[in-house]
Formats: sequence, structure tokens, C-alpha cells
Amino acid sequence: MQLYQQEYIANLKEIVMLTTGERREKLSFEAYLEQSDRKRRRGEELVKRNMKLLREGLFPVLDHIYAADETEISELREFAGELTGGKEDLDGGLYCQIHKALLSLARMRKDRKEMIRELYCLGMGYYGLYNKLVGLERKEIQKYTSQMRLCFAEAAAYLKYFDEIEDTETRGFILRSRANMSLGQFNTPGEKIRMVKRTLEILQDKGFQEKEPGLPWDRYIFLTHQQMAASISYGRESTMTSRDVEDVMESVYIVYQRRFEEAAQRKQKMLLRPSFSYYVIEYFCGMFGIDGLLARMETLMDGADAADFSEEGMYGIISLPAFYSQYLNDYPDKIPGRAEYVRNLYRRAMEYVEAFPREEESEKLFLYLRQLPSTFVEVEGGILYKQFLLKILMRFAPEIYVHSKVVADAAVVFCRLIIDEEPDFFDDMDSIREIGEPLEKRQAILDYARECGMLHDVGKINFMNLYSQTARQWFEEEYEMAHLHTNVGAAWLGERESTSMYAPVALGHHCWYDGSHGYPETYHRLECPCRQMVDIIGMLDWINNVVDTATMYTGVEKSFREAVDAAIDLERRRFSPLLTARLRDKAIAEQMEKAFAEGRREAYRLLYESM
Amino acid sequence: MVFGYQVRHLKVTGNGVRNMENVENREHKAKKEFACGKMGYLVVERQPDGQTHIQYADSIACELSGYSAERLRSAEPEEAVKGLEVSMVPLDDGHELWILDTADNRRLRIAEPEHMNAALEEALRAAEAANLAKSSFLSNMSHDIRTPMNAIIGMTSIGLTHIDEKPRVQDCLMKIKTASAHLMSLVNDVLDMSRIDSGRLTLNEEPFSLPDLVHDIAVIIRPQAVQKKQKLWLEIGHILEENLMGDPLRLRQILVNIVGNAVKYTPEGGEIRVRLGQHLAAEEGSTVPEAGTQESGKEEKNFPGTRRMVLDFICEDNGIGMSQEFLKKIFIPFERVRNTTISKIEGTGLGMAIVKNLVERMGGEITVESREGEGSRFQVEIPVAAAEQNRKDTALPAGGIVLMAECRDDRVAQVTGYLEEEGFRLVRTRSGLETVTRLTEAQYENHMPCALLLGQELEDMSALELASHVRQLAGRAFPILLVSEEDWAQIEYRAVRAGVNAFVPCPLFRSRLMETLSAYAGSGRQQEGTPGDGDTDYGSHHVLLAEDIALNQEIAMEILSAMGVQVEVADDGKEALEKFTSSPEGYYDIIFMDIQMPVMDGYEAARRIRQLPRNDAESVWIVAMTANAFVEDIRRSRDAGMNEHCSKPVDPERLQEILRGRLG
Repeated sequence: MQLYQQEYIANLKEIVMLTTGERREKLSFEAYLEQSDRKRRRGEELVKRNMKLLREGLFPVLDHIYAADETEISELREFAGELTGGKEDLDGGLYCQIHKALLSLARMRKDRKEMIRELYCLGMGYYGLYNKLVGLERKEIQKYTSQMRLCFAEAAAYLKYFDEIEDTETRGFILRSRANMSLGQFNTPGEKIRMVKRTLEILQDKGFQEKEPGLPWDRYIFLTHQQMAASISYGRESTMTSRDVEDVMESVYIVYQRRFEEAAQRKQKMLLRPSFSYYVIEYFCGMFGIDGLLARMETLMDGADAADFSEEGMYGIISLPAFYSQYLNDYPDKIPGRAEYVRNLYRRAMEYVEAFPREEESEKLFLYLRQLPSTFVEVEGGILYKQFLLKILMRFAPEIYVHSKVVADAAVVFCRLIIDEEPDFFDDMDSIREIGEPLEKRQAILDYARECGMLHDVGKINFMNLYSQTARQWFEEEYEMAHLHTNVGAAWLGERESTSMYAPVALGHHCWYDGSHGYPETYHRLECPCRQMVDIIGMLDWINNVVDTATMYTGVEKSFREAVDAAIDLERRRFSPLLTARLRDKAIAEQMEKAFAEGRREAYRLLYESM
Repeated sequence: MVFGYQVRHLKVTGNGVRNMENVENREHKAKKEFACGKMGYLVVERQPDGQTHIQYADSIACELSGYSAERLRSAEPEEAVKGLEVSMVPLDDGHELWILDTADNRRLRIAEPEHMNAALEEALRAAEAANLAKSSFLSNMSHDIRTPMNAIIGMTSIGLTHIDEKPRVQDCLMKIKTASAHLMSLVNDVLDMSRIDSGRLTLNEEPFSLPDLVHDIAVIIRPQAVQKKQKLWLEIGHILEENLMGDPLRLRQILVNIVGNAVKYTPEGGEIRVRLGQHLAAEEGSTVPEAGTQESGKEEKNFPGTRRMVLDFICEDNGIGMSQEFLKKIFIPFERVRNTTISKIEGTGLGMAIVKNLVERMGGEITVESREGEGSRFQVEIPVAAAEQNRKDTALPAGGIVLMAECRDDRVAQVTGYLEEEGFRLVRTRSGLETVTRLTEAQYENHMPCALLLGQELEDMSALELASHVRQLAGRAFPILLVSEEDWAQIEYRAVRAGVNAFVPCPLFRSRLMETLSAYAGSGRQQEGTPGDGDTDYGSHHVLLAEDIALNQEIAMEILSAMGVQVEVADDGKEALEKFTSSPEGYYDIIFMDIQMPVMDGYEAARRIRQLPRNDAESVWIVAMTANAFVEDIRRSRDAGMNEHCSKPVDPERLQEILRGRLG
């Protein structure tokens, strides 16, 4: 690798370290605050440095990729490999950029071998990006799954010319691409199952095996069975045909049998994942009903070791409860009888997260934990959904938590100033207008403002490494992806009664006042029942972003005063004139600046105390 | 002195006066006819001895009695009135008024009021019915006009109140625009109906393109269906000729009305299926309508040597349907299905009456079947003639393969039919993955298809996601054509970015498909330029706008200026004439001329401009801008020397079209 590449990788790793978090035992709050500031400044320095490295080192090469020599190409491959090297996806976005360029080069050179390799690599890169989007509606991530699958499909198309391609490695890429075509979500479980089944037929074809005995066929076949067995986790009896069940069953038994034998040899407990698949397939076959499945899942979850921080532990403490919750959402009549169990399940999951060693695989834990918000079941006396979401933010994305807290506190101050002048300002909301008693009304508005501020960005949980561990400004694709946080937040909040009133704020806080820009398209300001609050949170979110949080990924950086002036300049376009008119008042602007500063300090204090 | 009216009726019998001469008899007969129905009066003096003599006789009494006044005065009164019916009214003690009458007269007079009463009752009934119709019309109209007017006035007030809130004002303006458009259609319907009623509706006879017509209908209707989340299927059946003769505007009116109603009266999520096809007319010498004549309601004309066919149009929906009772009244003006679920549906109730009239005037037939709660089916058959053919030869390599990625079977079948007729073979894929696999194999084996027709529905991904990858895989030269019902204007940016070369709109016509394929995949292919490419700079062009209303001036100025042309304004025809006269030759490219203006109207101004002794007087392009959009208005403006007609209210697209047409 070239020096700039080595430095970039080192910087990436340092950024991961900076965001991993440490225990506070030996630090006072002031020292913690200073350390947090230091880390943030260091992060910004690293991002700036990385930008310089890419601008001066990488981009000129990519610009002239067709003229690049073999050494440069080889170094690029190595560099890309390091970006997703090891267990962590350090910079999947940059990995894709490099492989796109290499694929173009291979196409231009009509180098089939390189083309197949690059298609496979780019497909894997897209798979990495797709993985950041797990939990979103299929239609929202279809673009990414399609990109991934098209790359694999093109590489797999060369299967027809398997005989003519004599290189073992390339043959391996073709087969792996064929198998990977079934990664990700499909319209129906049946589609995925048919795709995996066809792969199995190809891999089990003796003709292919004899032509290339050097390839690890058994491993390919077993991994494909595993993929088939895993498809049952997302399947539902209503969406799977008996043929689908039959197709999955064989794979489930094969995987179960192999794992059972391995566990017996090691004298260990049977692994949870194949056991769960096994129970689900039996349930689908009608061996027992939903109560039977839930009872078996409870047995598996109860047997999970809360002190096991390996993937097996994460699966048992976090993934299984997510699947369990999904079944409860499908059968809500099963919830009341299991309320106590659900309460304990989430409590245990949160304790597990708290106890998880911070220096360990934090990202892996987060990937497991991310499954929970979309299936979360609220039960009486249990952890509230919003508390759960805020805990995740505090633990895995403290800077987003700080941003939310700053916006919440500033919103309270700003709303107080508004209702002092115009008590009916928020009467666009039925729930506020209906309150007759002035003090009660005032308090309701301020409480609502606070919660909206705290929850408006919860959708970012789904894109955590895009925000928390970014080591450079975003590419266009990543910027587009980040837009989805509004949809995710609105969907999560909207689905639960206790948080549904905050969903419009999560959805609309990036929309422009005049409707000309912003996102998502599904938000229509004039139809929003609480647009005044959406406008307020949107403006305060923007101010805090340009002053602080978003500097790293958008490159926009302003002082508070500059941000206020810029907001006033955007009056009637991006921001409501009813709000910017207040910002013009110097006294109000000063109060807001103070609210932002105090909010930040308070947020860090809460973070400090939570450690 | 007050007379008491004690009327005595005296029936006089006997021979009366016999000594009348023949001449007198003839005269008497003639006079009697003259006096028919009238009563005569005598003033008779009665002396104390009972003798009577006539003191006065009026002309009718003379006519009825057959005596002259003189003879009557000397005649025995009772003898003179023999044969007549006499009513005696005492005037005073010595005088009586004798009222002479005949039995016929009396019968007539008795019968006359009965007739008159009957006639009056009939007239009254007719008047009441007319009044009821008028009241109903006024009631409908006032409601239908008031509704959009309320919206316009209300939204204007709200907009003014919140003038600083751009989105609110924008929202108000959008609503005003919708209400205005509705109001305009209402007025147009009423005007059409009025023209139909007065027999002044004329049909044009001009060549038109069926694909253009269908495309226009799709553009108008599809957004409404999308808004109601309805499935709108526009299917093209067997098409014998795409270029036809007829009145495309009125045809469009018929079809838009029927399909528009289907959209209106089908609930959200419903389904509307429209099928358009053609079949040959049954008999040789069968007729197709001719414009400009009107006899027995139908306008007919033989087209010797032209291919005659019938345009079949069927529109089916699964909407609210109609009762059998309403079906009988569907073509009666102002009748609308009324129930609570559709009370918010706007309409004049004139549409179907106009449609039926237009269809019949074109020599066609319209039938409707419907069941309440299940839906309706309208079928229209209109005879048409083929226009002169202007078929372009395709420059495609025969026997080539075209790949089509589409999972809709109907679309694939249609394309297959078109391509096979041209000697092509279609290979079809249903998914993005299958398409990429096919193309990779084709590239490996060096037999790439001529083009990829990218359909609108794939099993696994969006068409544009696939386009983007295919462009990378197959390179820049490979034609990717999007075949879709979507609005190109809406997707053009994304589609071109994804690598799509051209767009073939659906419903799909053979000419559209083959011309586009030929342009992009043919031997003389022209790669550059996709539909709607590029903005044109009109900065060096001058336009004269003659318009007297300030608001209209402002709107037209706004639209024209936005297109970059240099606009100058004249407040009336005279000023327009002066401005043109004083301008250098060739200075103005286009004159937009309002018709109704003070001082000098648009017709006169155009006429005078054409008469000016300068080189550009004949060539300057004059566009009539008027709300009078009837055929005769257009003719009149042409007669005055104008080149083109632009209906008011001014539509930006239309202005743009005119500018493009003239300025390039």
C-alpha cells in the first residue's frame, strides 16, 4: 500500500477507537467533558486529514484509472481490502468507490477474469452497505439490494462458460456470486428459497465439482444450506407455501445435524441459531402451534448466557428476543399472558448491553441490537419504547444523543419564548388546543417540545456507523442513504402508541418550509397536524448541525451567530418566517445561544452519569 | 243613472224578413261570415201602447239581420230579428238594448273559452315545464358555479391573509387553479350544450394521429387515476390505421369525458379498463361523417377511395355504477348520479349529453351497461376514414433480436406482434437478474440484441435500477429504450441519468415503437437527443403582445418572459398596429393578438397589419388569443389574416409550443 493509504487506514482505526467509549471510573465530570471535547476535536482533525489524503492520493488515481499501472492497481486492491478487512467494516463506501473504478477498468480492458472478480467484490461492497439498512422497509432498500444482486448476477452468468474459464479463483468467484445472489430481502420468502435451491442444485452438480476439484465444494454447500435455513427466521406461515417449507426443511435438518454433532464432539450445548430454525420449521410443519413455538423460544432464551459476549450470546440475548417480539406483534393476543416475561426479556437485554465490554466488538453488538427497535413490544410496567431508543443512542451514538438533547433543551426555551407572546401558537395540534387551563397548556407544549427534540433523530440508529464512525465527508450515495433516517424514525415512532405523536417531527424535520427541497417526499407540510413544532425542531436541528454535529460528514461549519444569520437568510424558503422573526431579536438569539451551550453540557452530564 | 241588468232572452222564431234580394242575400252571407262570433246591438224604443221601433242599429246588427241601418229603423223590430237570438236589456222605462246573436255564434263563444282554456293550460304547463327546467338549470348552474367560485374567493382571501407564508399561498393558488379549471370546463360544457341545442355545432375534418390522441387522453386522465390510487389500463387492440381523418378535439372530448367519468365515479383503489381498437366498416360505400353539414342530426359523407373503418372504444370500471332508472336518463342534460357517497363529485351533468350528441353527429353509436354497485361499461363506435399515409420506413436490420425486460404479458404480446410484423424476434425476460444474465451471455457470445426494451414492471427491481447496470455492462452504444406508461417529463432526469436513450410511451402504438427503435438501433441511427432534450434560448427574439386587460397582460408577460423572449406590450389593436408599423422590418417574430379590445379589435388590427406595404406584413406570425375557441372563431381569425389560435386562459405549455414551433 502507499503511504497515504496506510495513514488513512490508521486514521480510520483511531476514529473507531475514539467512538468506542471508555468507562468513566477515573474521571471527574469536568475531565470527562474535556476528554469528550478533545476526542471530538481529534476526530475532526482526522476527518480533515483523511479528506486531504483522499483528494491528493486516491482521487487522482481514480480519475485516471485507465492509465494506472499494475502496481497502482494492485495497491488499490490491497487498500480496498483493508477498508473492509478483518471483522470490521471500516469504510464500506470507499471500498465500493474503488471497486467501481476497478470494474470500469476491467470492462474497458475487456478483461473477463478481472471483471468477474470486481463484480464479486463490488457485490460484496453493496452487501455491506445493504447491511447498514437492515430493518428498513423493502421498498426503501431495494435500490441497494438490486445493485448488489445485479453485480452477483452478472458474475454468475459466466457459469455457462465454466469450462472455458480455466482459472480456479475466477471459477470460485463465479460460484460464490451465484450463491450470493440470494443475499438480502426478497418480495416473498419463496423467491429467496427458490434462488437458494437453484444454487444448491448447481453446487451439488457433480459435473461442476469434477471440473474444479480444487474448490471447497462442501463448505460452499454447507454455507448455502445455512443461508437457506436462515431464511426461515424472516418467513411467516402466511407468506410461505408448503413447497417453500419443504425446501427449507432439508437445509434446516442438515445444518442442525452438523451443529449437533459438532456440539457433541466439543461436549458443548447445542447452538441457538440452528435450534431456533429447527423449531420454526417444525412449527411450520404443524408439529405444534404458536404457543408451542413461543414456549420453545423461551426455553432457548432462558438458556442463553448473559455473560457470554460472543455472537452466540448476542444471538440468545438480543436476536431471539427480537424474533420473539415479532411473533408477539403477529399474535397480539399472546402478549398479555407474557407481559412479565417480556419486561424481563428487555431488562436483561439492556443489562447485557450495559455490561458488554466497551473495547469488545461494539459494532457487532450494535448490529444485533439494531434488530430490536423495529419489533419492540411495549408492555405495562416495562421499559418504554422511547427510553429504550434513548438508551441505544447514549450507548452507541453519544454524539447523536448530545445533539438530540441540545435540540430538545433549545426547543423548550424557544417554545417558552413563543408562547409568552402567542399562547395559541401551537393550536394547530388538537391535543394542545383542547387544553383550557393556561398553565397546563403551557406545560404540555414544553413537554412535547422536549420529547420531540429528544426523539426527532432516532432513525439514525439504523445508520449508526454512517454517522458515528465516518472518517470523511459522505459520498452522494451515503448522503442519500442518510436521508432515510427520517422514514425510519417516523415508522418506528408511529407504530407505538406511546410515541406516535412524535412521528411527524421525525418525518418532517428536514423538509423545507416552502416545500422546495428537503426530504422525505412523503412529508407534506400543509397536511401535518403539528407543523409549527416540526418547523421549530427542523430549524433548531439545522442550527445545531451546522454549528456542531454534522461538520464531519457534510463539511459545513459555522459559529452560532453565523448559523442564526444563515437561518434568517433562508427565511420563507427553508424556515418559517414566524420563527426566524424571533431569531432576529438579539435578546432571543442570545438566550438561544445560551440554551444550546447549556443543553450540550447537560447532555454530557447525563452521558457521564449513565456510564 | 244606474241601469239594472235584467236580461231577458228572446228566442225569435218564424220566417222573418223574406223580401231580400239575391244580391243582398249574398252580401248578407258574406257579412254574416264577417260578423262571425260577434254580437249586434239595437236600441229599441217601446212606447206606452206597446209599439216598438228601432232607434239605433250597429253594423253587426245590420250584418246579422241582413238589413241596412236605414231599413232596420223602419222595420218591425221583432220581424227584423227573426231567426236570431235576442237578449233584451232594459235601459230605462221606454228603451231597451237588444243584443243580437246567432246560435252558431253562441256555440262558438261557449266553445272558445274552453279551447282557450285548454290551450292556455297547455301553454301554462309548457311554461311551467320550461320554467322548471330553467329553474333546475339555474339551480344546478348556480350551485356548480358557486362551488368553484367559493373556493376561488375563499382561497384568495386566505392567500391574501397569509401573503408572507409562501407554502400557504402556494397551496391556495393550487386550489384556485383547480377550481378555475373546473369552472372553465363548466362554462365550456354549457356553451357546447347551447351550441348543440341551437344546431350551431360544427365538426372539423382534419387529419390526426390516433397515437397522439390516445397519448393526450392518457396524460389528462392518468394523474387523476393515480391520485385516486386506481388501476387504469389503457389497452390498444387491433389498429388498422394510425392516421385518421376527423375532429380530434371533439373525439378527445368524447373519450376524456367517458374515461374521466369512470375515474370520477370509481372509488379509490378501483380499476378502469379502456380498450381502443378498429375494425373495417361492414359495407362498401358505408359512410363516415363529414364536417360542416348538418342534416337529420348526422353529418355524413362518402370517402371514395379511402379506407373506411370503425373506431371501437370500450371503457369499463368497477365503480359505483348506475341504477336502471338512471340509465334511462344518463344522456339527459343535468342528470347526475346522486347519492351521499358521491355528493362531492363535481360535474355539470352535461358531459354525457354532449358526448351522445357528438357521437351521433359523427355517425357513431354509444351504448352503456351498468349495475349499481358493480360498475359501468360504455361502448362507443365511431366511423372514421384513414388519412393519407405518411409511414416512415424503418431502418432496422431485418431478422434482428430485441430483448425486452417486462413481466406484463399483455405488453409483451403487443410488442411481439409489432416486431414480428417487421421481421424481428423478441426475447423476453421477466426480471433484472435474468436480463443481466442474458446480456452477459450475449456479450460473451458476440450476438448482442439490437436494443433493450425496458418495460415498466419487473419481478425484482425497478426498470431504472436495471438500466443503470445494463449501461455499464453493455456500454454507451447499446440502445436502452424505456417502454412505459409513466409520464416522461416526471422521470426523464432519472431515466437519462440511469442510461436510458429514449422513451416509448404507452399505450403502445406500432409507429412509435418502430420509429424509436429505428432511430436508436437502426442502420442510420441518431444517438443524440432524447425526447424533450435541452432548453432553447429565445433571448434574441421579439414578441408583441396586444392585450387590453392589465392582469392578462401580466400573466402572458410572465409566461413569455420566463421563456426568455423579449416581450413588448400594446394596450389595443391600434397601438399594436402602430408598434408594428414603426418597428424595423423583421423585428417582431410573433404577435400575440387579443381579439376583443377597445379602440381597434384584434381582427381589424390583424387585417391592417397584413395590408401594410412592407416586406414582413405578410410573413409576421400572428396568433389570436381568445377564449372564443369555436371553429368559426378560429376561421374568423384566419380570415382576418392570423396564423394560429391560442385559447384563453393562456396555458404556458401552449405558449411554449407556439414559441418552439415558430422560433425553433
